[in-house]
Amino acid sequence: MNRFSLVTGAAGALLLLFVAIPVIRMIFAADPAILAKTMVEPGVMASIFLTLKCAFFATMFSAFFGIPLAFILARWNFFGKSILSGLIDLPVMIPHTAAGIALLMVFGKRFFIGKAFAHAGIGFVGTEAGISLAMAFVSLPFLVNSTRDGFSAIDPRLERVAETLGASAALTFFTISLPLAFRSILSGLIMMWARGISEFGAVIILAYHPMTAPVLVWERFTSFGLAYARPVAVLLILICLVIFSILRFIGKQQRGA
Amino acid sequence: MIRVEDICVTLGRFSLDRISLSVGRGECAVLLGPTGTGKTVLLETIAGIHRPKSGRILINGEDVTRARPSGRGLGVVYQDYALFPHMTVFKNIGYGLKMRGLSTAKIAGRVKDMAKFMEISRLLERRPGRLSGGEQQRVALARAIVTNPNALLLDEPLSALDKATRSRLRLELKKIHEKLGITILHITHDLTDAFFLADRMAVMENGKILQADTPENMLASPASRTVARLVGIDNLIEGSITNPGLETGIGIIRIPEANSMPAGARAWAGIPDWAVHLLPSDHKKAYLWTAEMRIAQINFTGSMIRVRLANENGGTLQTCLSRREAAILPLSLEPGSSVSVGIHETGVSFLLS
Repeated sequence: MNRFSLVTGAAGALLLLFVAIPVIRMIFAADPAILAKTMVEPGVMASIFLTLKCAFFATMFSAFFGIPLAFILARWNFFGKSILSGLIDLPVMIPHTAAGIALLMVFGKRFFIGKAFAHAGIGFVGTEAGISLAMAFVSLPFLVNSTRDGFSAIDPRLERVAETLGASAALTFFTISLPLAFRSILSGLIMMWARGISEFGAVIILAYHPMTAPVLVWERFTSFGLAYARPVAVLLILICLVIFSILRFIGKQQRGA
Repeated sequence: MIRVEDICVTLGRFSLDRISLSVGRGECAVLLGPTGTGKTVLLETIAGIHRPKSGRILINGEDVTRARPSGRGLGVVYQDYALFPHMTVFKNIGYGLKMRGLSTAKIAGRVKDMAKFMEISRLLERRPGRLSGGEQQRVALARAIVTNPNALLLDEPLSALDKATRSRLRLELKKIHEKLGITILHITHDLTDAFFLADRMAVMENGKILQADTPENMLASPASRTVARLVGIDNLIEGSITNPGLETGIGIIRIPEANSMPAGARAWAGIPDWAVHLLPSDHKKAYLWTAEMRIAQINFTGSMIRVRLANENGGTLQTCLSRREAAILPLSLEPGSSVSVGIHETGVSFLLS
């Protein structure tokens, strides 16, 4: 092994340890008895399930609108495209509590959009819809950017050939563009879901209750201390690890197919 | 039949300027031009990918200028074939039939027949990524042809192949054209492909068509020095009209056309390398010009030998001869040696611009 390989390997290993050590220490420091007790607490499991569910709905809702947007950003050239791309990235940059406040100002009952939704029976303050909304807002860039990169990587001539062979624009999208970008889309969906699960700042502004797992961890930490917060965090990490490992495995299978 | 009338296309900073072109039914027309001249943009405009600012496109007499690509009935084959990587060869070939709503049984029948015709039956279950360049080209052709298109548009389909495969597939492309009688517009920058395949030829540079004619006429009467250069006429010799002929740096070339021009006017002689003969001392043929020249350089390109000749005034000429010709020539081809050189009238053109 040459010196360059040693240096790059060491740098990568250090970064991996930076991520792995806190997670491993937290998992192994957890008292198995408390962990087992936490697992059967109805509030904890309900909170974790709520987090996964809301992040899932946020991801599906965003996919419906985000995948077409990503296709437009990848394929069309228009004035203001870079501004639009910057706008998509904005939720990553702004503090998420600020994002929560911004969402509250639009989807709260004092603004006409919030009023209109309330009129239709959909409220965003203190509801699951509010949690999903906050999660969608802050994690949308992960889906749109990954999907856009996937579409951009497809040779446009594949789509052109499909059209000359008789496919409409919609059929070309569904038979050529979408399957070829599938890996990037799946990766974006997984990343968006994962980011949604971990969201705290924007969620707590819109919906302290019902309590998502990150809010529950924070509440237990501030009210009862580290020993009570840790088992919830460990449980969330373990469940997410299993789910994302399965999803990555499915993605890999698709790649090999 | 394809007819393009006064097409103007702007694509970013690139534009096509008032292009007109006609490809007769069953004809193979070759659009020849250097890379980056707008050939692919023109082909894609005909296919409906780009919308022209003005002008008309007619296919079999029907105006399709505003029609979507799917409504033009054209088959397109790109340089790198653009096979769908996530589909098998079978699904690639059957894609156009599926889009036309044919039943699964009919698609299977047509795909199998086409695969047999193109001799790719054994490849049907493979993915494009596991095919050689030549196999990919056959699949791309099969996919384009199986829908019985009004015409085939080929965008340098031979240029990504190695020399041996290229020669073989060039021949097969010609056979397919002859067997199916399909109208073809083939774009290329390669002279061998162009002259081998073309019934008619158009030469393009900087977004404009400079000349359209049969390959023979294009060589015999190029419209300008640019066209002459693009169709492979290596020797473009400038001179002034004198009586009789053209006075140049290598002497007076007795081109008959020059006699009808006013004396003193500038003109050029376009001399393909095969019209420059190396002469034995006892030659008896009549030549437009003969002189002694020195062999400046010899280059071997496979079976051909390219010779650059120079005289003491700095005038140069290029010629080429096969190894067989060189073997029977009673001369020794050595750099620096002196040879008699003649310009034969066959293929020599007279150019005013």
